[in-house]
Amino acid sequence: MMNEERRAFIKKSGLGVLACLGAASGLIPKFSLEKTILPAWDEKPVPGKIRWGMLIDTRKCLEGCQKCVTQCHHVHNVPDFNNRKEEVKWIWKSSYNKVFPTSSQQFQSEKIAGRSYLALCNHCAESPCTRACPTEATFKRWDGIVAMDYHRCIGCRFCMAACPYGSRSFNWQDPRTAIKDPSLAYPTREQGVVEKCNFCSDRLVKGLLPACVEACPQQVMTFGDLNDPKSDIRRLLENNETMQRKPELGTKPSVFYII
Amino acid sequence: MIRTKTMIFLGLTLVLFASFYAFLQDGMAEKTTQQTAQYLHQPVSVDSTKCIATKEFMRANHMRVLNEWRNSSVREGNRIFLAPNGSKLEKSLNTCLGCHKNNKLFCFNCHMYANVKPKCWNCHISAMETP
Repeated sequence: MMNEERRAFIKKSGLGVLACLGAASGLIPKFSLEKTILPAWDEKPVPGKIRWGMLIDTRKCLEGCQKCVTQCHHVHNVPDFNNRKEEVKWIWKSSYNKVFPTSSQQFQSEKIAGRSYLALCNHCAESPCTRACPTEATFKRWDGIVAMDYHRCIGCRFCMAACPYGSRSFNWQDPRTAIKDPSLAYPTREQGVVEKCNFCSDRLVKGLLPACVEACPQQVMTFGDLNDPKSDIRRLLENNETMQRKPELGTKPSVFYII
Repeated sequence: MIRTKTMIFLGLTLVLFASFYAFLQDGMAEKTTQQTAQYLHQPVSVDSTKCIATKEFMRANHMRVLNEWRNSSVREGNRIFLAPNGSKLEKSLNTCLGCHKNNKLFCFNCHMYANVKPKCWNCHISAMETP
């Protein structure tokens, strides 16, 4: 009789433990028996890490000036085919309704709508391109930069379809034929890979600011760590009304604009 | 009697461990986040005048070294290589070319002989193409 009761007790408590574990696995996110590792979640820039960002003060940007564009394209050996269909660009200037298509409004001031605006890769915190890439050739670095590993790129162009900002270009031809003044310190790309702005990660390791920031005669661009509340960029973001490109998509761009 | 007690305690510890094993991760998380931040403001004090290893080693293993350099520099952003003799080098083909471009055929001679066709120079600018 005694033994029977004990057996029943053990059975019931065992079931109870299992039920508790089942409930815990649902309630506690870091439950090791049921773990989901999504790289996109893992590598989201978290507080404490660096997240490089840029603020573009479009009020100061000179109409017709292309210094940042030419400097960037020279430093990184970006080809110029003189052909819109095969255009390769890392940073470029475009009109208001192309850069901010969803922020256009009726009766917009001529002054604002008529200017041209700098556009480059936004290095989104929630980058759609890195999720689309089947080979992880494009990936989110620990410092928030959306980097390209050209060694891995297979040229499928999924990332180009995923990018809502048109920041990526495909090399339809061998780019070497279209580089007039190559800079020898940086590689070129080859035919069949996608390329884009790398936020000058090559210069950051040397302690230099991005080439476009340095080339600008008006100091239009401010570069800094968005996760550091004391950085210049955060101070400017604090004191100005700023906007991002297509914020409604939830990509959390790291490039901000003062209009 | 004592033996039974120890057995019971052992069993209890085992049961406890088994039931709390699942929560172990909770206690061990969030320790490895900051380690990469060190690469940022580290000055790249590059000494590109010496070879990183002996001739014999490099002849046999340069492709492995380059693959390792490529993966760690591009994907982890760790661009500094600590050579066995203690000198620091930038993980870059330019580091190799710093000395070896004296001989414009440095890579090509051997690869041609061995009929090896690496794709490095599709993008990286070789000594053959520099003035």
